[in-house]
Amino acid sequence: MKRKQWISSITVFALIALLIVGCSKGNNTPGPASPSVSPSTSASPSPSDSPSPSPSAQSKDGGTLTISTFSDIVSVNPIFINDTSSGDIEQLVFAKLYDLDRQSNLAVEPWSLAAELPKVSADNKTYTIKLKNTAKWSDGQPITADDVKFTFDTIRTEETGAPGISQYDKIESITKADDYTLDIKLKQVYAPFQFSLYSSILPAHILKDVPLKSLKEDKFGVDPARTVTSGPWMFSEWKQGQYITLNRNPNYWGETKPHIDKIIYKIYADQNTEVQALLKGDTQMTEAVPLMQIDAIKKKDNLQVILKPGPTYEFIQFNFKDENFPDKYSPFKGQKTRQAIAYAVNRQGMVDNVLKGSGGLMNSPFLPGSWADPGAEAVNYEYSADKAKALLAEDGWKPGKDGILVKDGHRFSFELQYNAGNSRREQVSTIIQDNLKDVGIEVKPKGIDFATWIDQNITPGKFPAILLAWSLNNPDPDGESIFSSKYFPPTGQNGGWYVNKKADDLWVKGQQVVDQAERAKIYHELGKELSIDLPYVFLYQYGLPQAYDASKLKWEENDRPESSMGYGYLFHAINWWVE
Amino acid sequence: MTEYLIRRSLQSVLVLFLISILTFAMIHAAPGGPTQVLLAPGLSPEAAKIQAHNLGLDRSVPVQFLSWIGGMLQGDLGHTFKNNIPVGDILWPTVGHTMVLMIAAWLLSLIIAIPWGIYNSTREYGLSDQTSSFISYLGFAMPTFWFGIILQQYFALKRDWLPLSDMYDMDKQGNFGNLLLHLVLPVTVLSLGFLAAYVKYSRSSMLEVLNQDYIRTARAKGLTERKVVFRHALRNALIPIITILGLDLPILVGGAALTERVFNWPGMGRLFVDMAVAREYSVLMSITLVVSVFVVIGNLLADILYAVVDPRVQYGRGGGTAA
Repeated sequence: MKRKQWISSITVFALIALLIVGCSKGNNTPGPASPSVSPSTSASPSPSDSPSPSPSAQSKDGGTLTISTFSDIVSVNPIFINDTSSGDIEQLVFAKLYDLDRQSNLAVEPWSLAAELPKVSADNKTYTIKLKNTAKWSDGQPITADDVKFTFDTIRTEETGAPGISQYDKIESITKADDYTLDIKLKQVYAPFQFSLYSSILPAHILKDVPLKSLKEDKFGVDPARTVTSGPWMFSEWKQGQYITLNRNPNYWGETKPHIDKIIYKIYADQNTEVQALLKGDTQMTEAVPLMQIDAIKKKDNLQVILKPGPTYEFIQFNFKDENFPDKYSPFKGQKTRQAIAYAVNRQGMVDNVLKGSGGLMNSPFLPGSWADPGAEAVNYEYSADKAKALLAEDGWKPGKDGILVKDGHRFSFELQYNAGNSRREQVSTIIQDNLKDVGIEVKPKGIDFATWIDQNITPGKFPAILLAWSLNNPDPDGESIFSSKYFPPTGQNGGWYVNKKADDLWVKGQQVVDQAERAKIYHELGKELSIDLPYVFLYQYGLPQAYDASKLKWEENDRPESSMGYGYLFHAINWWVE
Repeated sequence: MTEYLIRRSLQSVLVLFLISILTFAMIHAAPGGPTQVLLAPGLSPEAAKIQAHNLGLDRSVPVQFLSWIGGMLQGDLGHTFKNNIPVGDILWPTVGHTMVLMIAAWLLSLIIAIPWGIYNSTREYGLSDQTSSFISYLGFAMPTFWFGIILQQYFALKRDWLPLSDMYDMDKQGNFGNLLLHLVLPVTVLSLGFLAAYVKYSRSSMLEVLNQDYIRTARAKGLTERKVVFRHALRNALIPIITILGLDLPILVGGAALTERVFNWPGMGRLFVDMAVAREYSVLMSITLVVSVFVVIGNLLADILYAVVDPRVQYGRGGGTAA
């Protein structure tokens, strides 16, 4: 039944949590279209699109890397991670079953636990996974099929309360064939499942006796002494509110060893303080720089900023339910009205003036450049107040006495909500207000405290219109739980109460076709459909500029950070070194 | 005196109890409870219910309050919802950090402000008095965080003279000399705020006393000005200052959230802001209570110090508070 499978959406929501502070880190898909799930062991360099790394020098071992963040971790127990800071530590201390290559394809890397890509049975329901027999926990115990089975079984049990449950509830059974081989059988064909295998694994020998219901309260993930890990670094020390120290794992089993001895993950009170620390040289890398501060950083010769659109996209969401409006009338029901709004809003202006190079236009819910991206098949609404006015007139809106449009006695005026304190949304909502005023629509932007907003408006689907973003942590394009009419609140995330039967069917179809080229066609059609019907006005994708000290932190071109992926700012950190 | 102290202490306990009921009610009345912030958004309503039950969030507010206060009486501040860490483990270190910062700033400003204020009172509208007035206005008018940022720009970024933020360098944790270096900038910022107020208070309080009849009498007796000021005027002038200091005591723990933020000082002010966003009720309640305890103690201390400074003040049955 199920609510589920919002793979992306779960994390998406986590993302919102990040946005509260005005930032987030990315996650998702782009990369040149790649026809199928192709094994690729390492990234293919694409020379043009990144700040030039240091001229290839000799890597060297040792040293300390200090990374800054503006919020403390909660717990590094991977199955409960729901915030970016904890996720950052997870990337550094836990090995994953499979990893992703630069194009976000499932990949077996030297640091992955799996030995080869999963073998999928003829009926597309059984995934056979083979593990390396060399992998070890930081306490020296071997990592085996038992650990993998334990991890997935734990997540998919409702009692555990793991946020990722929807990625695993299609599993019917997990069978261990031998110590390093297991078969995962699904209840039905479910194409997004391959990315559920891009997952950290828990140590069964430490946790198997903990009742599932109290796993969340367990010290694993909070107390470094109990947190046995599998990655290149260990969770060595946590000074709450101050810093986390990760020392190199002496038992690290991978053929590729980390170069950096110690990583300090330092917590700052806010992003401005983080930038100061980077300028001062107290830190060598920060994951998200406020756009206003970019120039100050660029002035310093040793500092570099990576400025590219990331895997997060912002949108205006309409509410179709009459009762969410003061006059019990949703003005957004006409498709032409929604298209008019899309035309009336100057999206390119937002990209140029607000995002300053960190963003690009979005026309559908699939990120530009990803294999699911419909490209030109999706309608691109170019800024035109004239087209907007014409469409509004066609849809029956007539100017009222005060210049604001009226239809059936209803004045076209609505509240646009966003989270207070998010400066990007403050700016964008003002632009929207101005743009729509030009075509006779009154917008009342309203900033609301984040927690209150989620609680009272977003989760129950009670709002006239909102300005929000989804961050796609999972590379799979499936978004059924956000858009399908099967997923109304409170179980789903279709908070606008949007109904489109054609799209509903396409989302389901997209899950049932495993071949990526065939799936791509479905998503292209979906992207086109949604860009015409507009449950949202898709605005732009944006990234958070990563900044680093290029005189201290070095990597080979192949190992540079990848802005288009979730946690891409730590991509291949195992191969980085410090001077 | 003892009787008075006992009576006051009992009153204080009652006050603290009322404060905790009030804060608890207010925190729970705020929209967006921990269920929304803490529970994983991907959870089904049934699973969310289980989680809420595990966290004890499905009980009524009065029951939650009783369970919290019960733990409190046994010295148990509770655990955080989100990761089950004992609140004390998070709270006490930050209290210590804040007090280090605030006491340093407070003492420094007292040492400068009181003598300066006295000096100014004897030379009204002189150069020194004008200067201190200017600094006071500056101190009142200038946002502390802004002043902090300016200092950081000049002394930590443009010139590498002082550390930018934090309590210690990463590789010098616990080193006292290193701590002193890190204190310079935030203490300067905070002292300016205190200084502004304290110079004004001590000056005006001194002036008031200096215009009293008994001072004129003292002068008429032919005492030197020095004796008049220090022997006769000062003790009396200190009484209102002590009141102010007593009332300011809670600031020493409550800290200056903004200054802590600018200098990334791991103190209680910062913690409170973070925990308010996360709706960590038990941490918020504990912080409120700690600050309340200091308010009560501050008031009590001020009363006791009156008696020490001014022999006319006597506490006891039926005895009113003089001064």
